[in-house]
Amino acid sequence: MASEEKTFKDVEQTQIPDTYQDPTVRKVITEKDLHKMVWRSLMLQSSFNYERMQGGGWTYSLIPGLKKIHTNQKDLGYSLLDNLQFYNTHPFLVTFIQGIIIAMEENKENRSTIRGIKVALMGPLGGIGDALFWLTLLPITGGIGVSLSEQGNIFGPILFLILFNAVHFFLLFWLMDYGYNTGTRAIATMREKTQEISRAATMIGLAVVGGLTASYVKFAFTGTNNVVAIGKMKMNIQTGIIDKIMPALMPVAYVFFCYWMLKKGRSPLTLIGITLLIGLVGAAVGLFAWPAVIK
Amino acid sequence: MHDVTIWQALLVGLWAGIAAIDQFNGLTHIHRPIVTGAVIGIILGQPTTGIITGGTLELVWAGMVPLAGAQPPNVVIGGVIGTLFAILSGLSPTTAVGVAVPFSVAVQALITLLFTGMAPVAHAMDVAGLNGDTKRLDWMAWIEPAILFVGFFIMGFLPALFGQNVITPVVKSIPRWILGGFQAAGGIMPAVGFGMLLKIMWKIEYAPFFVAGFIAAAYLHMEILPIALLAAAFAAYDYFANQNRKSSGGGGGQTVPAGPTTDDDEEDYSNGI
Repeated sequence: MASEEKTFKDVEQTQIPDTYQDPTVRKVITEKDLHKMVWRSLMLQSSFNYERMQGGGWTYSLIPGLKKIHTNQKDLGYSLLDNLQFYNTHPFLVTFIQGIIIAMEENKENRSTIRGIKVALMGPLGGIGDALFWLTLLPITGGIGVSLSEQGNIFGPILFLILFNAVHFFLLFWLMDYGYNTGTRAIATMREKTQEISRAATMIGLAVVGGLTASYVKFAFTGTNNVVAIGKMKMNIQTGIIDKIMPALMPVAYVFFCYWMLKKGRSPLTLIGITLLIGLVGAAVGLFAWPAVIK
Repeated sequence: MHDVTIWQALLVGLWAGIAAIDQFNGLTHIHRPIVTGAVIGIILGQPTTGIITGGTLELVWAGMVPLAGAQPPNVVIGGVIGTLFAILSGLSPTTAVGVAVPFSVAVQALITLLFTGMAPVAHAMDVAGLNGDTKRLDWMAWIEPAILFVGFFIMGFLPALFGQNVITPVVKSIPRWILGGFQAAGGIMPAVGFGMLLKIMWKIEYAPFFVAGFIAAAYLHMEILPIALLAAAFAAYDYFANQNRKSSGGGGGQTVPAGPTTDDDEEDYSNGI
């Protein structure tokens, strides 16, 4: 395997192919592999950053499976690169998507289909997870624990941990098996309808990305110096002008600016630099809000 | 009033570091104030005060959870510092909250900085990925947890060793515009990720779905789940409409356009006509 080492430039010029060098389908994933990936899913947010969010951790948790499935080094490289892209879902529900995706990878589904399903599932499960765990499970188990803690009882924290993690780990393992079996079963149908499913998944995926653009990207001039004077009139740039034109105008404009720059072959690293500069300069001149005064 | 041994301070730092990892990885929730309070209390030899303070801080942070990736005031440092000062300065648990919150707001800004600064690492991972180098990806996954551990170790250790009077002015001296700048950049940053997704997925014929999803979220304030379900409904309609067109043999050249980057789909549909 003396192929030369790929560099940043190669990544930028790479078009991930839809099909595989080695399209042979082999059933290689065992129960043990699935469980290995469940444990690894605990590192879902290990490389968290604002650009890709859980993309790195998502890939990290899939590695044992992907390594076994893609014995062709090129296929493995494209699969890893594909999975490293933006990803964000709820950490307690992620194993369900993992199970489905690993079943699809194992069956060598087209990369665009895998990608579409992955993106279409991540947003909805993220929303469900927030409501289910952060706003329901945590307050309930926390509340039970605190009622004991308030009396100085050490069983407060202990009971909290037991209750919380019983649900947590049961879900992680069960959802992985469930997802994998669902994926395997669904694939028989998908085989014949690859094109159609890829099309549908891309449609749903793009709708999700459109929704995420409006709700995830926070680009608003909420600083103290965000007022312009037009003649005698004072206008708030954000609430008076931009929001009047369209809500989330800046986020969608900036997403397409990024898309356009990337299409032109600019490096994403340049875009990160530009974004940092916008943030710092904007904050310095008072367009962006500063954190509260520390007393 | 302030007699923390260096060993105790080290243990506090160690716990802060472990909890810092758990708040993002593992998520066993040993990082919640209810647990941290008890642990810090045991380290400092006052378990009961620790447990009670932890309980109070837990309630304060009950509503402050990471929704849709937004970072609330940092819960780990809130639990550690709050319990620490409640025990060391004899503050009531509720007053300790008042001291802890500004610290956790400052630390939240630092986390924002970390999550912004980690973006280039993702691109180094791309290179490792394209090379199929899973070994490199495996160790790179520990970069951020390691930074979190060291950072929080220091932020637990120093306040434990020096106490509130020394630490508060340091926190205050960080220029606020820099914190604000990183926070703003962090908020905008997902746009770069979405730009990359669009570069892969975008096809002009699917643009209406992007627009519809955007409008549903921006104007109608819909959650992502109903947006995905609506899109699924339209995709299903599209699927059946194409099926009908295929079986009736009509449509002429209007065959189903396939998903992105497929070139040879004509063959698949020619036998339907």
